[in-house]
Amino acid sequence: MRMSTPTRTPKVLAIDAGGTMCDTFVIDADGEFVVGKAQTTPEDEANGFARSAADALRYWDMNVAEAFPTLVSGVYSGTAMLNRLLSRKGGRVGLLVTAGQEDYLLLERGIQTYLGYSYSDRLHVQTHVHNVPLVPRDRIHGIPERIDLFGKVAIPLYEDETRAAVERLVDDAVDAICVCLLHSYRNPAHERAVKRIAVEIMRARGVDVPIYLSSDLYPVRGDFARLNTVMIEAYAAAPSRGQMENVQASCEANGAHFDLRVMASHGGTISTKARELARTLASGPIGGVVGARHLGQLLGLKNIVCTDIGGTSFDLALITEGTYQIRSNPEIARFVLALPQVQVDSIGAGTGSFVRVNPTSNRIELGPDSAGANIGMCYLEGGIDTPSVTDCHIVLGYLDPNYFLGAEITLSRARAIEVVESRIARPLGLDVYQAAEGVIEILEDSLRNQVYSTIVGRGYSPRNFVCMSYGGGGPVHAAGYTRNLGFDDVLIPTWAAGFSAYGCSCADFEYRYDHSVAFPVSADLPDEQKQGLIARVNEQAEALKEKVRAEFRSNDVAEDQVQFELLFRVQYAGQLNDLEVGTGKSHLDDFSDIEAVIADFEDLYAKVYSLAARSPELGFLITTLVVAGRSDVEKPILPTRPCVGEIPSADARKGEREVYWRGEFLTAEIWNMEKIVPGNVIRGLAIIEAPSTTVVVPPDSLVELDEHMILHLRLRAASSGAKE
Amino acid sequence: MKAVRTLETAASIGWNGTSLRAMLEANEEAFARTGRYAGVEALELKEREPILYEKIFSKLRGALVTARATAMNISASPIVKEIGELCFSVYTPEGDSIALSTGIIVHVHTMSDAIKYMIREDFENNPGIADGDIFINNDPHIGDVHNADVQTLVPIFHDDAIIGWAGGVTHEIDIGALTPGSVPVGPTSRFEDGIDVPALKCGANDTLFRDHELRCAKATRAPTFWKLDEKARIAGNHLIRRAVLELVEEIGLDTYKKAIREIIEEGRRSFLQRIKELTVPGRYRSTAFSTYGFSGEERLPAHARIDCIAHMPLEMTIERDGMLGLSMEGADKWGYHSMNCTPSGMQGAVWVVLSQLVVPNDKVNDGAYYGTRQYYPLGSWANPGDPSVSTGIAWLFLIPSFTSLVKHLSRAFQARGYLEDVIAPYGVTGNVFQGGGLDQYGAQSATTNFEFGCAGTGAGFCRDGLDFAAAVWNPEGDMGEVEIWETVEPFLYLGRRVKPNTAGPGKFRGGAGIESLKMAWNTPHYELQNINSGKAFENSGLWGGYPNATGYRKNLKRNNLAEVVAARKPYPVRDGDTAASEIDRCLTAELVQYDDHTVTLPHAFGERDLYLSVQNGGKGLGDPLERDPRSVAEDVATGFLSERFAKTTYGVVLTRANDDVDVDMEATAAERASMRATRRAEARPVSEWRKAQRERVLRGDMIEPVRRMYRSAMELSTAFADEFRAFHELPDDYTL
Repeated sequence: MRMSTPTRTPKVLAIDAGGTMCDTFVIDADGEFVVGKAQTTPEDEANGFARSAADALRYWDMNVAEAFPTLVSGVYSGTAMLNRLLSRKGGRVGLLVTAGQEDYLLLERGIQTYLGYSYSDRLHVQTHVHNVPLVPRDRIHGIPERIDLFGKVAIPLYEDETRAAVERLVDDAVDAICVCLLHSYRNPAHERAVKRIAVEIMRARGVDVPIYLSSDLYPVRGDFARLNTVMIEAYAAAPSRGQMENVQASCEANGAHFDLRVMASHGGTISTKARELARTLASGPIGGVVGARHLGQLLGLKNIVCTDIGGTSFDLALITEGTYQIRSNPEIARFVLALPQVQVDSIGAGTGSFVRVNPTSNRIELGPDSAGANIGMCYLEGGIDTPSVTDCHIVLGYLDPNYFLGAEITLSRARAIEVVESRIARPLGLDVYQAAEGVIEILEDSLRNQVYSTIVGRGYSPRNFVCMSYGGGGPVHAAGYTRNLGFDDVLIPTWAAGFSAYGCSCADFEYRYDHSVAFPVSADLPDEQKQGLIARVNEQAEALKEKVRAEFRSNDVAEDQVQFELLFRVQYAGQLNDLEVGTGKSHLDDFSDIEAVIADFEDLYAKVYSLAARSPELGFLITTLVVAGRSDVEKPILPTRPCVGEIPSADARKGEREVYWRGEFLTAEIWNMEKIVPGNVIRGLAIIEAPSTTVVVPPDSLVELDEHMILHLRLRAASSGAKE
Repeated sequence: MKAVRTLETAASIGWNGTSLRAMLEANEEAFARTGRYAGVEALELKEREPILYEKIFSKLRGALVTARATAMNISASPIVKEIGELCFSVYTPEGDSIALSTGIIVHVHTMSDAIKYMIREDFENNPGIADGDIFINNDPHIGDVHNADVQTLVPIFHDDAIIGWAGGVTHEIDIGALTPGSVPVGPTSRFEDGIDVPALKCGANDTLFRDHELRCAKATRAPTFWKLDEKARIAGNHLIRRAVLELVEEIGLDTYKKAIREIIEEGRRSFLQRIKELTVPGRYRSTAFSTYGFSGEERLPAHARIDCIAHMPLEMTIERDGMLGLSMEGADKWGYHSMNCTPSGMQGAVWVVLSQLVVPNDKVNDGAYYGTRQYYPLGSWANPGDPSVSTGIAWLFLIPSFTSLVKHLSRAFQARGYLEDVIAPYGVTGNVFQGGGLDQYGAQSATTNFEFGCAGTGAGFCRDGLDFAAAVWNPEGDMGEVEIWETVEPFLYLGRRVKPNTAGPGKFRGGAGIESLKMAWNTPHYELQNINSGKAFENSGLWGGYPNATGYRKNLKRNNLAEVVAARKPYPVRDGDTAASEIDRCLTAELVQYDDHTVTLPHAFGERDLYLSVQNGGKGLGDPLERDPRSVAEDVATGFLSERFAKTTYGVVLTRANDDVDVDMEATAAERASMRATRRAEARPVSEWRKAQRERVLRGDMIEPVRRMYRSAMELSTAFADEFRAFHELPDDYTL
């Protein structure tokens, strides 16, 4: 994709190395951008990235050596770490846990045997399986000790046994040791003692392997999730650091001066030198949300529903009042983790989802499995034996079988018609077009239900929201899944297909540290206790700030360039579910700051759950202190171009095609997205094509391209209010 | 559009000006007459507009899932929040379930029973059913399994007519019963089962009655959990109500009414179709047992102090049309204990099994219920017919009784060739760590630790069972975080480990269980029960597979752990192999409770006393002598099996080099040949065996609990008595 002006100063680079393709996004000083693609090279990500960057810069007639020196910011998001985890090709880790808990990875709390399953499979116990442990049982040793939930020592650390356990791990030639002891987030003394002993032993034996303490890296309550997180840090994250450094080195070799940053699950970017890299594991769907928030800030939009449809899933997130919610126990790759993650809900419905008619009930079923990169049966080389949603797109004429991925792949419409007819239409007693349209309707309906229940379930109404639609498949269905919901506006950035990469470039340089605490709060605390609370919070926050400062120091960012914010996770006393509330301040001045936090918590609680569920009579508990430190980085600005007339130029029109719509074939105009310019209006029925995405404009709707290269999908005035 | 009603002005709230009761009766009459739900003949909407039909269903399902997710976050109880013990469903006006969420599937039909009860009892006239009302129920004699499962029901009105119900159920952590926790052992009548809310109106205008809230807060040891769980159920129901009304707005009332009837009728047909596909018609029979020993228990009334073995015959019939029949003819009488069940509870357990084995999808609803015929003899433990009977821990009888259903279905699957779906029966899910007292915050509290939701499943046809990750009543097991349970209970986990020798041996073994060793900590007094199988195997494995090990109890009171720790000597983190107990190796105590007394009343624990909680494994499948010897070696190497059983149970001879366990193949073959020879030598013709048994039965040579069991079953069922006499060729006047 290309949008060019004569002179170029590339400023920001974003790389999204997915499972199959590596997308590169380059933005210049005017907000103009190019997107490049290349096959991912899992064994050497720097290679795929270099080719992808070259592909992008080609549009500007530049090469990497010309472009890189002017870049001031570079962000990377990749799946290397995830792949390492999934393929169990990580480090040789040893674990030290509280004695009696040595079977953690065999037990998996039970819950990991069905994580990531569809509803049916979760019920169907015969499908449940344990995962291959990252660390074999004989490299997991128990340390006799116990600390209780108040941080009190119930059983002192047995030092001799600790020594013996460390000796065994050293004998086993581990390349990292993780320590996770019960309630160490409250009292880290035993973990620190273990480290001290381990260091002594290793020094004596002339060995030096890193030691990861859970109380140091992820001091949050929940022992198994915390262990998983620390273990993944040692097993997959640390070994992947080298790969990120290779990408950095490859940039530098081409004259780049920026420090490469990595997208992290909390929505910020962190340095490749960061202490905790595990949180970059789950950054996949986050990029788009961060991009949507940034775009929202530039456009003055505070409430945004972010929707992303890819081949396998539909990802949904809410931005309310300019912020997203953070969840603290995400599930990734069948692991429960203790990490802050931008809340994105995924359902297994994408353009590659399989479509079947259940032979017992004769009802249509979508997914949850998917054709993935093999598209559907219309892709003859894909070797797929079940029709997918894309087959239906092809049957209906939404997609041009000869222009898939910009004509990189040719699909067979005849095959799509044949299989949709025989597998879906005939069993249902429908004709092939009715059946294909029905599948799309069911898909869009279920997406719409999901969008709606997510908004309403949190106490909002779609009327206060705009919807942003991106990802390769989002714009095809945007009209369908937003219909009748009453959104203020539906926005489709013309760079929808590369939006994830774009989003990464919009993220703050931000470190975030969480620490589980237990501070009861009530309005009737005596004054000295109120002051004591403020002092304790500030003291603990200072410790977290120091961690943040240390991270920034390693990137030569001075302290005065860092803005701190103190956040709290708060719950009603006795409840287990907490919510995150920001303060906008770097420390507490007096008790009124706490009161403001509590008031915000109550507001948020009423929205997220329900007003009736508020329970202030239980009192409040601050469960987690969070410190976020941000440093300014160059972010993309919006391109602004003059608006010309409504009528697109003749060369933007690619022709016309018969498209099946609501029971009949209509003639749709086909447009080339790259040739449409700001101000142009396209009325439905129309299809707008770009190499990696397609926008479907229904007959009663139109799209208008604004000065920032964003399409706005609206009902046509004449037919607005018409009920579908 | 609130329909405000008073007793004086009560008008019919059914469709077309009829009463709700008339609607229910018409529906039942139509089913009796046609065999089809509500008499629905053709699935017109589904056939004419399959797409719209699907969209309607997905909207309803979506609402239920949203309701559950939202409610889960409101509740504070680890049982609900961490373990997910809650479920929502949407009903027709007559109380038939149209769709339900994930969660405790057991309740597919129990809330239906409750709604129908209210309709039959003419609640629409008194106390009235109006928009904004809230109802609550936990009475198993009305519709529930046990008091711990508390249901909230909210009617959904469109204009002035009722168009459905939203229902939600959560499992409470304490139910205010005679003994602490959610599933009390100790009640001998319903008057001790805890909070009793037998289908009551508890709110109006979407607001709970204050008197109800205050009363319940005083009736449980865990008022905060109760309160938040109730809020969670109400919030979920209101989300469902909103979604239904929006759907009606979208598709029109008439279409909605048509759709819900068709969805249930289709559920019925799909269920029959599914049974036809998966099984072979016929009659399947098996008997299970459950035991407890309360003789000499001074704290119980004299008439309840007995040792008991319950009789649980289950006959499954599959008709040619797929109709599934279940009969417990021959079950013995109900008793003065809390393990009795009501038909509603029995239904619940049936659905738990069927939804895992036969219809594991999101389209389960009451249609499937209409595809079954179930018979529980009146007066038996499965249908006491007496509202004073306790059902506090009904699951302790439910679980073993339906091990036979798992067996029957597996045999039917195997006969039809669906080998992947074959599964040997589960073990009883226990030991349950349950009790109450003064907790670590100095407050009165109670707990039921749902770690016991992670038992081993039965073996498959060509693979071992799933280890420690599911329960027969909930396929989605979750032990919960140790650190979270320690915030709830004043006990420290000294360990949570794989329990050796729990899996039922077989060619494919059952899944293994775990054991948690817990130490009382920060509590002046706390009382705990043991709840598990112990004195007998409840059922066998499949095709020569052995049952899982029975449970045992081990508690160490007033032990020397403090001194052991002070001296930095090893302290136990598990019991391990009972023949080489780690606990015994490390500690001594003034009182060691080590026996098969696995169902107990609460007993006291003081600071540093130890409680062992062993979770059971699943049953095996196939002859253990056919198990791959390498699998046996691996089980030994990983600690799932003690070395001493490799030879005696599996005929596998192992060799050890350092930590490596290997198989001596030659010696193993010889050992197995010798074991087979012994079997042949010891075997007798069935006719001889029957003759010997007949002599024993004639002499009355049986222990008292067994004699009592058969006498009771024969008294209750002439058919069983006749069969018993015929089988053993006994005289017509034979009695016990």
